[in-house]
Amino acid sequence: MKAPRELIGYAWAAVATAAATVAGLAMAARFDLVNIAMVYLVSVVVIALRYSYGPAILASIASVAALDYLFVPPLGHFSVSDVQYLLTFVMVLVVALVISYLVESVRRQARAQSTLEVEAETERIRSTLLASISHDLRTPLAVIVGASSTLAESGERLSAEDRHALAASLFAQSSELTEHVAKVLQMTRFETGTIALAREWTTVGEIAGSVLNRLKERMAAHRLIVDLPNDLPLVRVDASLIEQALGNLLENGATHTPPGTVVRLSAQQSGDQLVVSVVDYGDGLPDGDVEQVFAKFHHRSTAGTGSGMGLGLAICRAIARLHGGNVRAERVPGGGAAFHLALPIEKPPTVPDEIFAT
Amino acid sequence: MTELRPAILVVEDEPEIRRFLRASLGAEGYRVVESATGRRGIIDAGTHKPDLVIVDLGLPDVDGLDVVKGIREWSTVPILILSARAQERSKVEALDAGADDYVTKPFGMGELLARVRVALRHAARSRIGTNVLELENATVDLERRTATRDGHDIRLTPIEFRLLACLAKHLGMVVTHGQLLAEVWGPTHRDDTHYVRIYMKQLREKLEKDPVRPRHLVTELGVGYRLLTDE
Repeated sequence: MKAPRELIGYAWAAVATAAATVAGLAMAARFDLVNIAMVYLVSVVVIALRYSYGPAILASIASVAALDYLFVPPLGHFSVSDVQYLLTFVMVLVVALVISYLVESVRRQARAQSTLEVEAETERIRSTLLASISHDLRTPLAVIVGASSTLAESGERLSAEDRHALAASLFAQSSELTEHVAKVLQMTRFETGTIALAREWTTVGEIAGSVLNRLKERMAAHRLIVDLPNDLPLVRVDASLIEQALGNLLENGATHTPPGTVVRLSAQQSGDQLVVSVVDYGDGLPDGDVEQVFAKFHHRSTAGTGSGMGLGLAICRAIARLHGGNVRAERVPGGGAAFHLALPIEKPPTVPDEIFAT
Repeated sequence: MTELRPAILVVEDEPEIRRFLRASLGAEGYRVVESATGRRGIIDAGTHKPDLVIVDLGLPDVDGLDVVKGIREWSTVPILILSARAQERSKVEALDAGADDYVTKPFGMGELLARVRVALRHAARSRIGTNVLELENATVDLERRTATRDGHDIRLTPIEFRLLACLAKHLGMVVTHGQLLAEVWGPTHRDDTHYVRIYMKQLREKLEKDPVRPRHLVTELGVGYRLLTDE
């Protein structure tokens, strides 16, 4: 199918020429032929500015023809008595072509510019990724290489205490590295669309229990309040992924608030959605659009050090959307951040009743 | 006297992983036999008669699952699976095929040693069985089908008892959803995972002090459950 914009251009060329003709006929009694030619020229210029070569050439030829036939003596004929009018016709055509050319080259430049901008943005994301990887992956790697080589080369000369300390930091840093790598891989899997959901009916309580168990030490410094009503409906989700999403929200809460403050985990049914909320009472969300916290490699504090790679919330949102849900961020009045993970509720399956044992 | 030390067969193709397993298991007093391939592992399980087998799921020659099946054809030796994060499904398959427990790579040795101890202890007393579960706030007598919480009698349904009995049979070890469904509800209900979910929730409310943070009826997401007691 031909580009509709092109067809519309030709239609407008015809309309513009007709309009110029109507105006020309109205002016004919009192104005010189030169001024009428100018009216046609304006119509050609407008078409050339708005559309590409084709419509502009059509407009200029139609204008020349109409001008010649209706206004240039002998009237009612395409013949021209005075040669100077041929020059007028050529000038109209040249103006149309020149303007079309200029407009086209400006458009081309604009297109090139926007391609450049996209490339620059991609480059910016890539360098943020690299910077992030450099910092968050290299620090644990440096500790691992340093500590392990110390143990390998001068293990016997170290005190038992030092050996233990080095081994413990090896364990801690490599565990952290494992988490980072897992997150980068996870995000890559989402972006390449290679995640298959293993959906099963499950309870939010079970997912929450699992994540609370996993993050026991990570959350130990915070006062965790859990409020899960007993009558929440079952949800059909990939439990491991939702556990991860919930874990990321809790870790996010713990990372951005001082020890000793409350982090609240709650859930409720809201219409046809089950909403799991994690609320913290720290410094809250950055100024401006709250949505920016879901961007990859976003760091809530400008310092942005040591708090992971800024992938947690992006992964969380990807998981929620994969389930047909979403995650929203909200400012808590008085300081703090709330994250609401919404999951669709489907018609739950039934379980046969059972007679009680006596 | 060396023969009294429990023997552990490690079926793992990565030499670096075998190295730290050998060092760590050896330091704990176990005798370690190593197989670098799955086929070799099945043969070594027959010739060395180990007390426990550790099988890596990602072997180059045969599927770890086939190693589990091959050993299970003639032996009830406890089998632990080493699996990578991306091998969720084959991990569950291996457990359903008769493996007793799993550890996800990368793992800390503390975790693996704990699993080894539980599996060996379980093998040693599997004939005796566990009939009375002493939990933090509750006691359940599986044989007489009675239960108390904070000293008061509570009622469990027949299915709740059967579910607990199934978990208790593998005390400390993971039991898959499929195994629980097949054993408690019958093989036709293998896919009705919501049955287990709902009944586990009920059981936790009856037996756990804090049902959201269970100490005894522990969830292994995407796999199944594990019953832990304080012993």
